[in-house]
Amino acid sequence: MGIDWPRGIAVLVLTGVATAIFLREMARIYRFLRLGQGSLRVDRVGKRLLDLIVYVLGHVKVLAWTYSGVLHLFIFWGFLVLLTTILQQYGEAFVPGWSLPWIGNSPVLAGLQDLFILLVLVGVGMALYLRAVVRPPRFRSSNPLDAYLILGLITGIMVGLAGSRATAIALSKEAPPGWLAGAFLSRALAVWFKGFSPSMLHLVHELFWWLHLLIILFFLTWIPEGKHLHLITIFPNIFLRKLTPRGALRPLDLEKAESLGVGKVEQFHWKDLLDTFACMECGRCTAVCPANATGKELDPRRLHTAIRHHLVEVGERVIAARESGQAIDRPSLIGDVFSEDFLWQCVTCAACIQECPAFNEHIDKIVDMRRYLVMEESRAPDTILEALRSLEARGHPFKGALASRTDWAKGMGIKEVARDGPAEWLFWVGCAAAFDERAQKVAQAMARILQIAGVDFAILGGEERCTGDPARRMGHEYLFQMLAQENIATLERYGITRILTICPHCYNTLKNEYPQFGGNFQVVHHSQFLAALLREGRLQLRQPLNLSLTFHDPCYLGRHNGEYEAPRQVLRALGGNRVVEMERCRERAFCCGAGGGLFWAEERVGKRINHERAEHALETGAEVVGTACPYCLVMFEDAVKAKEAPFRPRDIAELLADAL
Amino acid sequence: MEIVVCLKQIVDPEIPASEFRLDPVTKRQIRGSHALVISTYDENALEVALQLKEKQGGKVTAVTIGEEQATEALRKALAMGADSAVLISDPPLLEADDLGKARVLARAIRKLTTPDLILCGCESADWVSRIVGPFLAEELGLPCVTFGTRIEPRDGKIVVRRIVEDGYHLVEAALPAVVTIASDETNTPRLPKVRDIMAAVKKPITLLRMADLGIEPGSLKEMEGRIVLQDVAIPVREARCEFIEGDTPEEQAERLVLRLKELKVI
Repeated sequence: MGIDWPRGIAVLVLTGVATAIFLREMARIYRFLRLGQGSLRVDRVGKRLLDLIVYVLGHVKVLAWTYSGVLHLFIFWGFLVLLTTILQQYGEAFVPGWSLPWIGNSPVLAGLQDLFILLVLVGVGMALYLRAVVRPPRFRSSNPLDAYLILGLITGIMVGLAGSRATAIALSKEAPPGWLAGAFLSRALAVWFKGFSPSMLHLVHELFWWLHLLIILFFLTWIPEGKHLHLITIFPNIFLRKLTPRGALRPLDLEKAESLGVGKVEQFHWKDLLDTFACMECGRCTAVCPANATGKELDPRRLHTAIRHHLVEVGERVIAARESGQAIDRPSLIGDVFSEDFLWQCVTCAACIQECPAFNEHIDKIVDMRRYLVMEESRAPDTILEALRSLEARGHPFKGALASRTDWAKGMGIKEVARDGPAEWLFWVGCAAAFDERAQKVAQAMARILQIAGVDFAILGGEERCTGDPARRMGHEYLFQMLAQENIATLERYGITRILTICPHCYNTLKNEYPQFGGNFQVVHHSQFLAALLREGRLQLRQPLNLSLTFHDPCYLGRHNGEYEAPRQVLRALGGNRVVEMERCRERAFCCGAGGGLFWAEERVGKRINHERAEHALETGAEVVGTACPYCLVMFEDAVKAKEAPFRPRDIAELLADAL
Repeated sequence: MEIVVCLKQIVDPEIPASEFRLDPVTKRQIRGSHALVISTYDENALEVALQLKEKQGGKVTAVTIGEEQATEALRKALAMGADSAVLISDPPLLEADDLGKARVLARAIRKLTTPDLILCGCESADWVSRIVGPFLAEELGLPCVTFGTRIEPRDGKIVVRRIVEDGYHLVEAALPAVVTIASDETNTPRLPKVRDIMAAVKKPITLLRMADLGIEPGSLKEMEGRIVLQDVAIPVREARCEFIEGDTPEEQAERLVLRLKELKVI
């Protein structure tokens, strides 16, 4: 067997050119990423490697959307299996008739290769059908030409590969290759070339062979240009993903930070910039976004694509300016790239994060830009500013509240830590249940249950401050840290270790965010506490509630903290209840509209999120909507009033108290 | 433009009515553990001053009479953008009446600077006497405009938009002048920037005692007015419910009218 030097060298030169173009673009992107803030620290390597297996090879998140998941699985695994054919091709370039050592002649491998050629084509067909015929709205802001180009290139690669394999079989009539038995597809296709003259067949084989190679090389140069960069960036993006609790926002060192929040693209954390290059524009985030679904400007996919496009547009100039120290004229990140409305429409419900197959973090980016607006520019919608001022002056966001922090508890004989000393459990009431007339009933119901079950508990009363959740999500990290430090000092002064709360926002902040400031407590949400009391038989139900029920998952209990079961256990234990699920429940639950500090915002654009959610509840025909969050409760009450809906929102503690 | 803003630290006026307590001896509100804030309209006055400074350049000085805790209010004013702050503090001052306070403020202002403009809130959110500003103008011999919301500098004078019952007046005043400020949508107090909050901690606050202003301990009484506060009380609000009986709606209506007449409602 002689060596085909001219062909081998031609292939090497072409590969070298394509690789050079590819690397030049990748180096450019790498320099852009280096503009970002923060350093690279990798912990828990084992867990991270496992993630790569589960989420890249296993496609676990991609498959959460069945149709697009399956088609992507076909193409992705096709790509892996068919890498062997690319190696094969490089061997053939130098040595005609060469095959991979050990496995090259295996009919099993050949069968797999043929199977995946077929599956990739099926996948491409499904993708085309989805894009061209079904046209789901989630693709609206994605560049269709990029998608069609890629689907065309993949089809070209498959046609080239299948064609070259089929013609190779047709050419080797006398001495069929060892793998022939397995190559069911290529063998079948070879029949088409039966009538070709040997020279013609040879020419056609060469054409397919080069078609395959050239498209692959072109593909290589095209990868850095569009959303297909994800096939490289997905690996570092998943490996380096946030492993801290989802509900914990990134802390900001207020003393050291050059900019409080992000007003320019290079002020983002570098991983946030990497996120934007890992976005494959599938639009799942946008499809589940409650703000987007109710006609608002916020589009979590555009959050990523717009940062990426902006970075690519200004990146070189920013690098040059950094060296020369000169200011540059460029579109403003907040204002030109994103409107302030866009940033203030996010309820931080994490529906987008839940769905993102690339593990992108949408909330951190939005809150970073809010931080800039609020802390550097003192700009926010009026009602948000009002809530922030109230938090600053009186430690709660309810300006004009008619109650004091302990009015709800009057006459109930509840211990206060300052007066009666700490108890086994601290009952953290939260501002909503202390100051909102409707939500006060939840605090009362919970206290009554605890008294009936004989739980030793006390409240902080006037010494309780807002945990800072709304301040932090509104972008006022300074105010949040003040409140957090004050609360941690109070809790530590009384030696409190165990906290029980009826508010998922307090729960999340106490549990996941206070450890950032040295506050480590055992924190339990009342749904978990009530489920445990029922399990241990510490509550005797007097009468079953004969009601049809549905349950609304609070975002900060469910998606942010993974607790879906405990509230349902409570509802099921109430006996005689028929719990009907809404179509969007658990991981896919639709926010009530109050998260991210938007309880205090005016919702002026589009349909109200709580009205939309009330309609979801209405579809179940349930008489009662159970919730486990005072904010969800109040949002539902408002929607029920506005829409005259025939159901009543109740907290699980209220329902349970009724049954005792 | 050199601007002085007089402001007062008070108990958060947003506390629920049920939390409001009076001390029967001093006839003052008991502060308790309630939040302390800058009186509402004083914050509007500060905002107007800061906007003028942004437009015209100059310096804003915040002045208050109060206890040590009042430094918190001054820190807030510094964080919002005031350039310097002055605390006038001495135990007898806390008992002074409006005229006494205005005279103390006037002495302090004369001692500190020669301002072009002095701004006060149109009323404090606790006592609502609305008189310290005008007294201060009287004491300094300056023109006074009350209930201004916006101030336009014009040819070395100012034009003040002054709210009245069914609209507004535009009033021209020569400088220096005293203007008391009411709120409107243009003077909502700003949220301080975080960097300014952190920087405010390092800005000095001048402390003045009565002696610094040449006031003898006994002479404060002479500076005060002749009004004596007799008593203060929290109004008692009572609600009663009464059912009007009657067999027919007509009969019920008739009895309702009679009852309302009896109560002198109609």
